[in-house]
Amino acid sequence: MAREFQRGHKARISDLTAGTDLYVGVQIAGSGLTFDISCFGLDAEERLSDDRYFVFFNQPKSPEESIQLLGAQAGDTESFRVTLDRIPEGIRKLSFTATLDGAGQMSQVGPGYLRIVAGGEEVARYSFTGAEFSTERAVMLGDIYFKDAWRFAAVGQGFDGGLEALLKNFGGEVLEEEAPAAPEPQPQPGAAPGFAPPAFAPPTETAAPPAPVPAPPPAPAAQGYAPPAADTPPQGFPAPGSTPPQGFTPPGQTPPPAPAAPDVHGAPTVIAPLAPPPGPTGTVPPPAPAPAPYGQPPQQPAYGGQPPQPPYGGQPAAPMPPGYGAQPGAPMPPGYGQIPGQQTASYGVPQGAPQGGAGVGAALQKFKETPTGQRWTQQNKKLMRVDLGIGGQPVLAKQGSMVLYQGKVDFSYKGAGFAGRIVGNATGQEMQLMRCTGQGQVFLAENATYLHPIELQGDAICVSAENVLAFDETLQYEVRRIEGHGIPGGALFTMQFQGTGTIVVKTHGTPVVLPVTPTTFADCNAVVAWSAAAQVIVSSQVRMRRNAYPGDTGESVNLQFRGAPGNFIVVQPYEV
Amino acid sequence: MNQPLAGFAPAPVTARMENHGHHMLKVAMQTGNDLFARVGSMVAYEGFVQYEPNPPAVRQIARDWITGEGAPLMKCSGDGLLYLADYGANVVVINLNGDGISVNATNLLAFDAHLSWGVERVKGLAKFAGQGLWNTRISGQGWVALTSRGTPIVVDCGGGEDETYVDPDALVAWSPNLKVKGKRSFKAQSLIGRGSGEAYQMAFSGEGIVVVQPSEDSTDRLRVRG
Repeated sequence: MAREFQRGHKARISDLTAGTDLYVGVQIAGSGLTFDISCFGLDAEERLSDDRYFVFFNQPKSPEESIQLLGAQAGDTESFRVTLDRIPEGIRKLSFTATLDGAGQMSQVGPGYLRIVAGGEEVARYSFTGAEFSTERAVMLGDIYFKDAWRFAAVGQGFDGGLEALLKNFGGEVLEEEAPAAPEPQPQPGAAPGFAPPAFAPPTETAAPPAPVPAPPPAPAAQGYAPPAADTPPQGFPAPGSTPPQGFTPPGQTPPPAPAAPDVHGAPTVIAPLAPPPGPTGTVPPPAPAPAPYGQPPQQPAYGGQPPQPPYGGQPAAPMPPGYGAQPGAPMPPGYGQIPGQQTASYGVPQGAPQGGAGVGAALQKFKETPTGQRWTQQNKKLMRVDLGIGGQPVLAKQGSMVLYQGKVDFSYKGAGFAGRIVGNATGQEMQLMRCTGQGQVFLAENATYLHPIELQGDAICVSAENVLAFDETLQYEVRRIEGHGIPGGALFTMQFQGTGTIVVKTHGTPVVLPVTPTTFADCNAVVAWSAAAQVIVSSQVRMRRNAYPGDTGESVNLQFRGAPGNFIVVQPYEV
Repeated sequence: MNQPLAGFAPAPVTARMENHGHHMLKVAMQTGNDLFARVGSMVAYEGFVQYEPNPPAVRQIARDWITGEGAPLMKCSGDGLLYLADYGANVVVINLNGDGISVNATNLLAFDAHLSWGVERVKGLAKFAGQGLWNTRISGQGWVALTSRGTPIVVDCGGGEDETYVDPDALVAWSPNLKVKGKRSFKAQSLIGRGSGEAYQMAFSGEGIVVVQPSEDSTDRLRVRG
């Protein structure tokens, strides 16, 4: 699942994906506008000290090919391949930019995005629209930069002067050579699309499914239900054996005339259309989308020209695994008929192993824990692992949130102290905590809520106490009071965390992270967290006459947030 | 009208059991290849599928189920497609292929009837009176579907000297060859109301895997019998 980024958001790439081979796609378009999308490889001073790392249409890759321009594909206007672990030491920041070519300004841009795809899955997406810009002619969309680890930041910063201003910003000495080259609408070098290495085609997997997939409906119909309409056009009910010449044979009759596949387990009649067996190709049922029922693109190449290979384990003699396909020569309208004399195998349920092997281990492979040598590692959306051995300091976690641990870990009660309990009782901002100490890994989760690690680097965040799952003990926290009129009880309270460390926030459902704008409001029951630099104002809509009668909107206390750009609030789809 | 819904049409069958989305199980039923499923888990079916609540074979063991594993089963037979779900829990499909797995009854959704299975008491646990963890152990050649509240995580016990400790409420399944024992982590101070909230864990050691869900079910796994 892609993580949505807003302008100013940052994240460690290792938190997004374990891979280092990234696909960065940019979509940006506007009527009558053309764009040059390029990637600047900058050094630690954010200077373009080596212009071989200015990757654009005239220079589609960096010297060691760690940054490659791939061209437009899969809905992206431009795309790059970035191999993080091959980027040389001198390059500490990759800035992805879009510059206008010709007339126009950035406010004319339609909705676009910058996304990162890794391992066939989109892991991050920063969406923007032209409304965020004004007269700029260039925009820095996002950065992949190195600070302790590779990180991604959604930037969205515009430049009035276009490409020249950008180049100047990154160290002007390139200007003389490169700037003239930019404005001419030179087509991309022919190699651009071809740069996509074959092994690296995630976008086609995510955005545009391979050809067989979109066409499942016809195939089962042809194979499985064998409706009369499908059979009749060719030849009605042909005598068995006479079918080979014409393409569309009732499935039940295909195996006999397929001498290329003596092994019934080969079931090539179904798989073959991709790469017909060398023998009498005419016997193969030709519906082109026939592989669709098996919809497993990764496996298909393996079948090419290897009929004897058992495709899905032991397929019985009946060659129509797609569930219902059990029609003999006589197609029965309801479609649940069975081959006479072949009842047991009639449903053709594949009993063999699924893709990726059989057995408990293989079936659970996708749920394996993800190893990374970090203190906080998100295992999946709802499970967090903390390695106490890294960093060495204890972790405070909500009582009862441990689901599993390995190693020598001690769990002890963490009291709030006398004053803390008084405050906690009075404000409702009370946390039942336990201290996890020792050496080992602890897995934390609670009630299948979504977990979000937030790394604080000296900054502060306000979180409602009931949404805190765990945090590093190095963080300081205190109860903060939000004053306002019209709130039952006089004020709202929240927990403010400050310092350097990680806090894990839990939400019911996928939250929305909103940037703080002059008009950002949130329900005080649904807001989970906000960056502490944002100022909170209570805007209550108390109208005596409305509240006194039925028909109240039920939305009485709202919080309004104000702050500089870069602040955000987190709201969950669940009102406590 | 139903264009937006078209994406949810079932994919063609490729295996006996498959996920439809994360939370639904699709079973291709076939005569002679029956299925045990949790009672009430059927959400839809196509074809001719019959349901026998509490069939004789199960009744024999029903007593065992009552002793702690409270999930009654039904036997499904026939031809067609059967869709099962359990209140939106994630479904995990496993092709056993000769392996065995030990599952909490509350996390068991369906399994092939020809698998060998039985309810067993977890050894090494429950030394105190009246309580015990009962589990369903399944092995053989066939398919099993488990449920998990949230995406599960699979942890390799690795056979190292360090044991893996699991909250019994979050435990879904484990390899039957693992050694299990109970561990109480509370101390004297817990008795005066200052516990860490983690009073009791199960310790696993040996070669194998443990499947854990990111939620602590409210249903009590260590239930009182009798």
